Amino acid sequence: MAIVLGDWPPFRIFWSSAKFAFKALFSWLRPEMWLMQLFTLPLFQMAFFVYLSRFVNPGAAGVAFIAVGNALQVASFSSIFAVCNITSEEKWQGTLTPLIATPASRFPLFVGRAMFQILNSMATIVVGFVYASFVFGVDMSGTDFVALAVVILITSLAMTGFGLMLGSVGLYLRTAMIIANIFLFIGLLVCGVNFPVTALPTWLQPLSYAIPMTYGTIAARAAIQGSSIAELSPLILQEIGAGAGSLVVGYLLFLGFEALARRRGTFEEF
Amino acid sequence: MTRLQTFWGSFRMSLLHFFADPQWIIPNIIAPFIFTAVALVLFRNVSGSVALYAVLGGGMMGMWGNTLYGSGFALAFDRWNGTIEYVLATPSRLVWIIAGRSASNAVLGLINALAILAVVTVGYGVLLEVANPILFLVALILTLVSLSALGVVFCSAFLLSRSASVMTNGLEFPIYVASGSMFPIALLPFWSHPLSLSLGPTWGIDAMRYATDSAYTGLGFGYWIDLSAVLVSTIVYLAIGFWLFMVAEKKVRDDATLVEY
Repeated sequence: MAIVLGDWPPFRIFWSSAKFAFKALFSWLRPEMWLMQLFTLPLFQMAFFVYLSRFVNPGAAGVAFIAVGNALQVASFSSIFAVCNITSEEKWQGTLTPLIATPASRFPLFVGRAMFQILNSMATIVVGFVYASFVFGVDMSGTDFVALAVVILITSLAMTGFGLMLGSVGLYLRTAMIIANIFLFIGLLVCGVNFPVTALPTWLQPLSYAIPMTYGTIAARAAIQGSSIAELSPLILQEIGAGAGSLVVGYLLFLGFEALARRRGTFEEF
Repeated sequence: MTRLQTFWGSFRMSLLHFFADPQWIIPNIIAPFIFTAVALVLFRNVSGSVALYAVLGGGMMGMWGNTLYGSGFALAFDRWNGTIEYVLATPSRLVWIIAGRSASNAVLGLINALAILAVVTVGYGVLLEVANPILFLVALILTLVSLSALGVVFCSAFLLSRSASVMTNGLEFPIYVASGSMFPIALLPFWSHPLSLSLGPTWGIDAMRYATDSAYTGLGFGYWIDLSAVLVSTIVYLAIGFWLFMVAEKKVRDDATLVEY
């Protein structure tokens, strides 16, 4: 008997959750506001660090390093900040308790909630690379665009996995906004966005390599210099590993915090 | 109730709210703190300008971050908590309530700035040697008032919008860039200079740099011209902010859209 994908319960839950999250987002966020965010955030974040770099070291190489790093990191607004706040937003709207009371599997439910932010992250990174090339003068003539597209896709997926892990912690906290803000910006410091990870103190570097963005920034720079997917595959596999690891740890944390919140009756605390 | 009583009551209530749950200082301070840390790494091989640009810039960004998020969420939290109807139903004018909240955010912004200066001094060993502490303090306080007045202008837009959080995220970086918080505005494209010079914080940070380093040349107008520009821009912002509030308040009352979120 053929199994129709739409009838498979995890897929049905995932898809309905994704559609619902999309409709819920645009019920309060006007499309023009979303577009404003999509086009202005990458521009001004990149401009800030590019001009800082030009002031400190007027060499073009430093500018390209920073522009590419920030083009990728700016997706954290979607993949970390928005995704991490999913559980808190359910609390604010008063919908977390009914959601938890459903027998639906948590994994497809919350991954579905994050689905739009994966697309949003990819769109933000693409806009960032357009600015890198046309506004900040990054030479992309030798770019392997297929490899770059794969890096953008994997980085968006992996960082969303990381954001979901942080959101699991937010299930138990009164709000995930605090950790969402910390991890939104900490990538600028530890993920090789503005300077190589090796410039950090040795004790801080393991944190860098636990965040998928670090592999993404290295891979994106290599793709712009012409590296193919085959050459980048070790980095991409490491990034997939970091993203998948985050997702698994996040799921386990979610189940643990759900049990704890049920026992202590803290689901609605915010 | 006099305007002053409204202002004071709102100022006090806002501070009490903050101290009841002080973890909210983290979202306001984290971006400027990280940017300062990044700048210090980038500046590690550069001598002379570190304290002037990285540290003072970080402090100014800390003040702006707090003012912006304070203004952005001043009404959004009321919407979420279901208290905005009561705030608007009181006979006190909304703009004086918001002015009290903005002033309280400005005071907290000063704490942010001092926290960044302290962390940078202790953590990174970068000492800010101020040539003229009194002039520095005057410039710092006027810049803070100017940022607060700018917050009132933006808050009137947040009154009309359900997307205050999106707008605050969108407005944080443009001010950091346009005001030349961490680099000279001469590096920016020429067409953007009028925009930069229309911002009080641009002049404020320049005045602070003059007061810190007597050899600083900056915009080239000198400390007192900078200070006058901060003062004038603050008065203009307040006039615009009060007028916008009148218009926005009337509009949300007429359209009955205040509680929408």
